Amino acid sequence: MTGNWQRAVPVYNQPIRTRALYVLGALTGVAVLLALYRVFAGLGPASGMNDAYSWGIWKTFNVMVLTGLGSGGFAVGIGAWVFYRQRLHSVMRAALLISFLAYFCGLILLTIDVGRPWNLYWMLFPWNWNTHSPLLEVMVCMSVYAMFPLAVENVPPILERLYDDRPSLRPLIERAMGIIAKGYPYVIGLAYALPMMHQSSLGALMLLAGERVHTLWQTPWLPLLYVWAAAFMGYACVAGTLLFCSLMWKRARDMQVLTEMSYITAGLIASWWLFRVGDLMYRNRLRAAFAVNPYSFVFWLEMVLLAGSVVFLVVSSRKQNTQLMFHGHLLAAIGGALYRFNPTTFAFQAKPGAFYFPSAIEILISLGFVALGIAGFMAAVKLLPILPAPLSEWRGMEAHGKARSGLVAQGYAAAQD
Amino acid sequence: MNRRDALRKLAGGGAVALATGFVSTTALTAPAEAEPVRASKEAVGMLYDATRCVGCQSCVAACAEANNLKPDTRLTGLHQASLDLNHLTKNIIKLYKPTGASTWSYVKQQCMHCVDPACVAGCSFHALTKDPQTGIVAWDASKCSGCRYCQIVCPYSVPRFEWEGFNPKIVKCEMCRHRLAEGKEPACTSVCPTHAVIFGKREELLAEAKKRIAENPGKYFEDRVYGDKEGGGTQVLYLSAVPFENIALPELGGESVAQSSLKWQRKIYQYLAVPAVLYVSMVGVMRHNWKHHQEHLREEEEKTGLRPQL
Repeated sequence: MTGNWQRAVPVYNQPIRTRALYVLGALTGVAVLLALYRVFAGLGPASGMNDAYSWGIWKTFNVMVLTGLGSGGFAVGIGAWVFYRQRLHSVMRAALLISFLAYFCGLILLTIDVGRPWNLYWMLFPWNWNTHSPLLEVMVCMSVYAMFPLAVENVPPILERLYDDRPSLRPLIERAMGIIAKGYPYVIGLAYALPMMHQSSLGALMLLAGERVHTLWQTPWLPLLYVWAAAFMGYACVAGTLLFCSLMWKRARDMQVLTEMSYITAGLIASWWLFRVGDLMYRNRLRAAFAVNPYSFVFWLEMVLLAGSVVFLVVSSRKQNTQLMFHGHLLAAIGGALYRFNPTTFAFQAKPGAFYFPSAIEILISLGFVALGIAGFMAAVKLLPILPAPLSEWRGMEAHGKARSGLVAQGYAAAQD
Repeated sequence: MNRRDALRKLAGGGAVALATGFVSTTALTAPAEAEPVRASKEAVGMLYDATRCVGCQSCVAACAEANNLKPDTRLTGLHQASLDLNHLTKNIIKLYKPTGASTWSYVKQQCMHCVDPACVAGCSFHALTKDPQTGIVAWDASKCSGCRYCQIVCPYSVPRFEWEGFNPKIVKCEMCRHRLAEGKEPACTSVCPTHAVIFGKREELLAEAKKRIAENPGKYFEDRVYGDKEGGGTQVLYLSAVPFENIALPELGGESVAQSSLKWQRKIYQYLAVPAVLYVSMVGVMRHNWKHHQEHLREEEEKTGLRPQL
């Protein structure tokens, strides 16, 4: 089913309390209980981490990978706002919600992972920052980004819903929207500057580990490759999610928008791929890629997954094949995730004989907070106008007897005059 | 206005600043002339001569006692016998003796007190600091968030983490700074019966080590003092008859990893200048495109009769 995406419309015709939501909620509940256990027992009993592999999946998956997948708000936003690709505006709300949930859940795990979280209050005192530390950069930038610009960007759908539900609040909402509209360019500026900084600093983190990171990954260009990977992972995650939702809830797909996103994703991956190979050649390390060992295997796994995704995305765009397109975005997300995961795990050579595998508790906590994000997404898209749809979907909703009076705040139009 | 126009305007305006900001934020590989960090004149240190060590482990026991660490008896249930540095062990003697090899050596492990330490460079809130006079790398419990980045970046795998309990600490040798404050020397050097490990000013220890090499040509591996230049230099110096890599002292090159890997990160975040340029150019582009988006929304509103969505 295809149609032009013209307007964000809630998934109004689906029940909110589904079995899936309860399962996800239960997973989150288990994770919260286990997190309490971790607080009192310490990191050792709760995880498989040790002095050689002192970073486990909470950092390498929930932070490194999830914020990469949650970079849609930043990557798609730059496409829409900076490069003026007007069509991409239709998917911005979905991208921003995914980003907010991914960052939010990642930051929760960061506070569970650090051993002395009460000392994180030092973040509020810039004179005590070590501004030369990439980790400081990551912690401060990520928190500020998730709590300020990303949060503000997610406010309009909520106000829109309130506007419809509570007529008495309308004047207040109009004023709030006016304020948001006035400040929007300044907020958005932060929403793009901050992720560029912290997504690249995530790569810079591992620069300081020097030769402990395998030579196929360790490069002075790690920051650039990281932020680049975040960009295509962001696109892939948003496009993949939209495709999945359209199948699950039988909503129209805008193949023009999806094709545009697929080409952008493919272009980003292809250039990233070539840059990485070029860098290996320039540093004279290409031979390491052809050595027979686990490192070269993992390296080629990343490269083949991503090359495969480019092929899938281009072919599916040409043939307008939805299923293949979904698989293309899935491969892009998995390949990118693997790349962001590896420098701190498989490619991290702590010392001979050292071993790490996440414990059951670790995995359950990690999954639990991914589940929270997914549950949040499923509930939010049903309650709020997030997912894009043709105008007919909006009319259908009105006919369904749940008419919304139309939207928010003339405020932001008025504020411009 | 179509996209091409928008792009053209963009290219003329903030895009140049934007591009420079973006490229420099990520990585520029051209080498920068930067002054390498040098040890201070007052820097203190230790010299460990592996050929003089008899492996008695007096230093291990003295270290645990001086630092109020519980004896690590987990191995035998009876003796203090750590397998490695850990949250109960800031100092350890290990034996390098591969089966069938003719050479063997003891090695003492503790914090190397690097001249330009990676852990200090990476520590977010200055929980790990390097004393400007003594050069001792010390840990401050009130500032450590327990992120364990120091463990990831230390080339010697020195910092250890207390994995159990709700109030974990980073455990590593702080060169008995509490004893130095009382005018004493570190516990390990004070008890060594063969003076295999001695305490002193780094400069004097370096001279002493070079004297020993000169007096015993061929005795020491490559006639080299480990820590003189390795990894930008360390304040704990080593002499050994066997290759340094065999006793867990990696060959790191003459530049500290903090110096070689972070010089661009450091320049970019100096005074937050580059991020500021990036932000300002983003706002510039956004203010421009925001107006056009408003017009677009207004057109949509007229067409559909529904209020525009942001």
